[in-house]
Amino acid sequence: MKRTLSGLMMVTLMLLLALPVFASGQQEQGQGEIVLNFPTFWVGQDSKAEPLAQLVEEFNTQHAGDIRVVIEPNPDTDGYRDKLNTQLATGQAPDIFVFNPDPTTFQYYDSELLFDFTDYMDDTWAADFQQSYLNESTRDGRLKTIPYEIGITPIWYNMDLLNSVGWDAPPATMDEFWQMADDLKAADIVPTSQMTGGSNAWTSMLWYSHIMASLGGPDVWDRPLGDPIYVQAAEILGRMFADGNTTRDAVGGDAGVSGGHYMAGDTAAFINGPWYIGRIRSDAPDVHAATALAAAPQAGEYGGAQIGFLLSNLAAGNTDDPAKAEAIVTFMKFMTDPANVQQVSEAAGSLFAVKHELGSGADPLQREFVRAANDATFVVGHFQSQYPVSVVSEFGQALSALALGATDAEGFVQMLVDANN
Amino acid sequence: MARQATAVGSNDGIGSVAGSIFKWTVLTFFLVFTFFPLVWLVISSFKTNIELQTAPFALPQVWQFGNYVNAVQVAELPRLFLNSVIVSTSSTALAMLITSMAAFVFSREKFRGQQSLLNLIIAGVLVPIIALMAPYFRLTNVLGLYDSLWALILTYTAINIPISTFLMYGFMKSIPAELEEAAVIDGASFYQRFSMVIFPLSRIGLVTAGTFVFLFSWNEFIYALLLTSSVRSRTLQLGIRFFTSQFFTDYTSMFAAIVLTIIPSVLVYVFMHEKIIKGLTSGALKG
Repeated sequence: MKRTLSGLMMVTLMLLLALPVFASGQQEQGQGEIVLNFPTFWVGQDSKAEPLAQLVEEFNTQHAGDIRVVIEPNPDTDGYRDKLNTQLATGQAPDIFVFNPDPTTFQYYDSELLFDFTDYMDDTWAADFQQSYLNESTRDGRLKTIPYEIGITPIWYNMDLLNSVGWDAPPATMDEFWQMADDLKAADIVPTSQMTGGSNAWTSMLWYSHIMASLGGPDVWDRPLGDPIYVQAAEILGRMFADGNTTRDAVGGDAGVSGGHYMAGDTAAFINGPWYIGRIRSDAPDVHAATALAAAPQAGEYGGAQIGFLLSNLAAGNTDDPAKAEAIVTFMKFMTDPANVQQVSEAAGSLFAVKHELGSGADPLQREFVRAANDATFVVGHFQSQYPVSVVSEFGQALSALALGATDAEGFVQMLVDANN
Repeated sequence: MARQATAVGSNDGIGSVAGSIFKWTVLTFFLVFTFFPLVWLVISSFKTNIELQTAPFALPQVWQFGNYVNAVQVAELPRLFLNSVIVSTSSTALAMLITSMAAFVFSREKFRGQQSLLNLIIAGVLVPIIALMAPYFRLTNVLGLYDSLWALILTYTAINIPISTFLMYGFMKSIPAELEEAAVIDGASFYQRFSMVIFPLSRIGLVTAGTFVFLFSWNEFIYALLLTSSVRSRTLQLGIRFFTSQFFTDYTSMFAAIVLTIIPSVLVYVFMHEKIIKGLTSGALKG
């Protein structure tokens, strides 16, 4: 028996002695070379992973011996945010990082943790950006993050399915929409992809945002939670979950379920952003070819709106070292150079706050996104961007209750109001 | 009488058959209940994502072996697997060494503040580990251990000290004092009482606590992400997450990665299960 204890001690000792062989995580740094660590979730299967890696490699080659950017892969977006929040909470911002702009993260503008780009954003650099996104990224006159990826989320229609039931264009009004839904159901086609699962019931939250925009117009989010139009919008969204207007697994289903049904050709209408283009192109080429984008059917006084938002900004940790500051700005200018943005945009299908042309290699659906953005009568943010995490988390729960008949539209809104208090 | 005996015998036979049917029904139910998720996982790992989402219980139309190639290439599984083995084994060994000694003192010795100190350590069980992220991150950086296996080993060991101490204390407390007294009469020292009497008799507790620590270390994700930044020091759980991105999860490649990661554990159990069970039960018989 004594051998057991001795064995345990021996194993522990040997492992601990052997560990330095495996344990070293320190990076080698050349003399005079500035190393910028860049933790990001644009890795692995993300559509921007490959073009980003190529850009960073190109940058490192151009600045060999002076600046080196090291990508720190952080799979799992939620985990990345937890890590970033922890780092910022301990006063240690990464050298370069992806900043998700929302009411919570913008609070970091009040600290000294973020690098301030205000004085570096001269007219020449600013001319590369769409001014509205620079404005959105500026707080109290300070530009502490660089606007980068943006998103709009029009309605996706499978025109092959619509054509098969006699519709040659997407519905323009809600009355037309319900007629289209009835026609589709008569042909055993499910009208819409919906979901209540995930952390925010993403695609259904976007439907709700579109309906709200149509009811409330450009200033819709100025209305307090509990305003009657929240109930009106909930009634419409609730109907999309009833009478066979969506799939049976929508309640509890996540974005994979919602998108999966659309890609499989089971459903005729779906919502998501341009980042989904690469996936649908590779996994469901027929549906990709049949997809047309449109504004949501008009539910209220306002038509032709799009839901758009800043998706990811680029940020950097503050530094007193002028050489490091110069390196950070050099890299940011490289990342936001229109030619480099075009490279990422065409490879990933994403949209950006930087003005750039789409080359001949651009995906037709990506061009549809650009057209949809240009045609929008106005653009507003989505529901999630307006409310704290407690309300966003409650949205999926309340929607499940609404879809299952456990509550009505007023009860749905009341659940959100309670979560906000 | 003979007729009565036959009737009784017949009843016994029917009862025996009924019992046997019931037994095998229950066993078959649990067999299916246990194996179905595993079989589903393996079959799903050969599907496309669309097949998985639209027909989750059907067989694949074309078996997608490419998912496994993808799993190995994208996630760098071999290196991450090695790191997981090192981290889990080391943190388990370290935690068992520390907590068995701590539990011995708390359960067999008397000193002032003993109960308060024990309660203080065990109260750590009640602290959600997510609440400790900021201090552990800070400490790891101050010690220069960020992005090293040491960071994970020490953190996992520390996190598991409260629960392991609690488990080991319970086992050691139940060992009769007479055994230790007999050893003292035979001239056993303080260290010998621990190493030759109490520690061997606590084998079941060690296995229980060790299993707990090992599984925690093997499955832990958030600290592995928080305290490391490169593949040199990352563990399997991070590799598996390489198939989830901001707006899409490649479930089938992720399932392939999960299957690959559990194969070694299954093989070890298949070839070693007799020894494991023997090891678990021998302590109880001899104790």
